[in-house]
Amino acid sequence: MILKNNLKEVRQKKGLTQEELGTNVGVSRQTIISIERYRYKPSLELAMKIAEKLNVKIEKLFFFE
Amino acid sequence: MALSKKEISILIEIVFSIVFAFIFLPYFYENQDNNLILMDDLIGKIIEILIFTVIYFSVAYSLLEFVFKKKETKDERDDMINSKSYKLGYLLYEFSLFIFIGYICSKFQNKELLNLTGNQELYNGFNLTDVGIVFLILMLLAFTSIVKSLYQFYLYRTV
Repeated sequence: MILKNNLKEVRQKKGLTQEELGTNVGVSRQTIISIERYRYKPSLELAMKIAEKLNVKIEKLFFFE
Repeated sequence: MALSKKEISILIEIVFSIVFAFIFLPYFYENQDNNLILMDDLIGKIIEILIFTVIYFSVAYSLLEFVFKKKETKDERDDMINSKSYKLGYLLYEFSLFIFIGYICSKFQNKELLNLTGNQELYNGFNLTDVGIVFLILMLLAFTSIVKSLYQFYLYRTV
């Protein structure tokens, strides 16, 4: 099982750039890029912050495949 | 290949370690047969190293700040990359120290054996002075620092 996410789709739907989302949740743009490319698995705290900022449930954003 | 501010600051550290190894390590290598108190201008060399280090990092980081005016956020990904790379550097240094201690022990043991055989020429060839030890420790530090920074750079590019 691989932890995947649809962060890129949700972020684009909300009209946010990687830079803006990163600034809103207190991380760098590179970190958002790494999460979107499945290179980096965020901590629970960061995942919850992102989900809250994008106004979606965390299980809709991050899921196992 | 576009590099971020963090990646460039790692490259600055790598370049410093390489320059240090090429400029200052030969001085300790050439004086391996001496004792620290008998070395030519040791205090001068230490001052030279300190001045070089301060100037190098001041100029390099000032240029970096000038080029990348925006302050970069330090987050959990940076912490993860740093902990991984420092762990590797620490393990490597620890492993090298074990080899180094083994090397010193074997050298002293061999020296005693040579003393027993009465071969004065070989006996005199087995010298390990305090400068020799300082040289080996500095070499280990430079080596582990370069490996650690290269791994850190690799992680920044791939994670």
